[in-house]
Amino acid sequence: MGKRKLRRQSEDGGLNITSMMDMMTIILVFLLKSYSTDDVSVAPSKDLQVPVSTSEKAPKLAVNVVVSQREIVVDGESVLQLTTTQDANGVEVTQVPDDEKRGQLISALYERLLEKAETAKDLAMRTGRAEFEFKGEILLQCDKRLPFSVIREVMFTAGQAQFGNFRFVVIKGSG
Amino acid sequence: MGRKKEADPELDLVPIMNMVTILIPFLLLSAQFVSIAVIDSTLPAIGKPQPTTEQQEEEEKLNLSVAITDKGFTILGASGVLGNPKGEGSTVPCVRDGCPGVESYDTKKLTELLGQIKDEYPDEENVILVPESSIPYDVLIAAMDATREDPETKVQEKARVLFPYVVIAGGVQ
Repeated sequence: MGKRKLRRQSEDGGLNITSMMDMMTIILVFLLKSYSTDDVSVAPSKDLQVPVSTSEKAPKLAVNVVVSQREIVVDGESVLQLTTTQDANGVEVTQVPDDEKRGQLISALYERLLEKAETAKDLAMRTGRAEFEFKGEILLQCDKRLPFSVIREVMFTAGQAQFGNFRFVVIKGSG
Repeated sequence: MGRKKEADPELDLVPIMNMVTILIPFLLLSAQFVSIAVIDSTLPAIGKPQPTTEQQEEEEKLNLSVAITDKGFTILGASGVLGNPKGEGSTVPCVRDGCPGVESYDTKKLTELLGQIKDEYPDEENVILVPESSIPYDVLIAAMDATREDPETKVQEKARVLFPYVVIAGGVQ
């Protein structure tokens, strides 16, 4: 019997794929399960660690502002670089450079957001449909280590540019 | 021998394998392993002053706010610092070293105190967060979680909703 099996295998010379198929099927099902078609995607990196929250609310598409430790990005386009300095105690503090802002207003961000608001309003006017109505919604993806002073300046600027409904993007966690 | 092979036909799995190997990289690319959510917040409404008729003064607004400092949380109401019914203080100090790190804040205690306030003012749904400039964003989100709902107390199988509408105020410089 053993001799025959050996002979048969050497005759075919084929791989036994069945077990590999099993594995592939499992991987396929797992990947299909984690397949997502969300409007919003987060790409965590070293400079952008989105905080974890117990919120269950699903994100909706809106103007996307990413504030990482290095820069501010609006809808995929970099707007402004942030600086990180060390304070007296050697703690790293990220802030908006002083020459980039007027009071609390971040000029470059303000101009970009105003453009976005105009575009959105124009779209709403042309289509005249309720779903495109400008509601001033803005998605904020911020790094969790950023001090509130930076967040406040970004929020203030967005508010000045008519974006008053903030949606803070968080990662769903067990809490 | 040849006849036996005919009687035992084996499925040709190679084409399926080919398809699966193509599908896997494609699905890997579009797979999202973190599921995201959002927390809503609005700018503090600028606008018309409230008419102060006598009736409205009776149903006094609570104006609940939570100040976040590097010492801990402080719960404030319309009439200054709010004490809870048991007469305890309304400050929730940091419990562990490393303030203002998110681990050091006692969010459980804050939720508990806010639960007691919710018992007294069941119609209130707004809370104003007033963080200090140096407070990390992480702590802000943790505070929003703590004020929104109480996972310990269940109401119809769901976490009890406390103050879901959060407004972030400018804070102290």
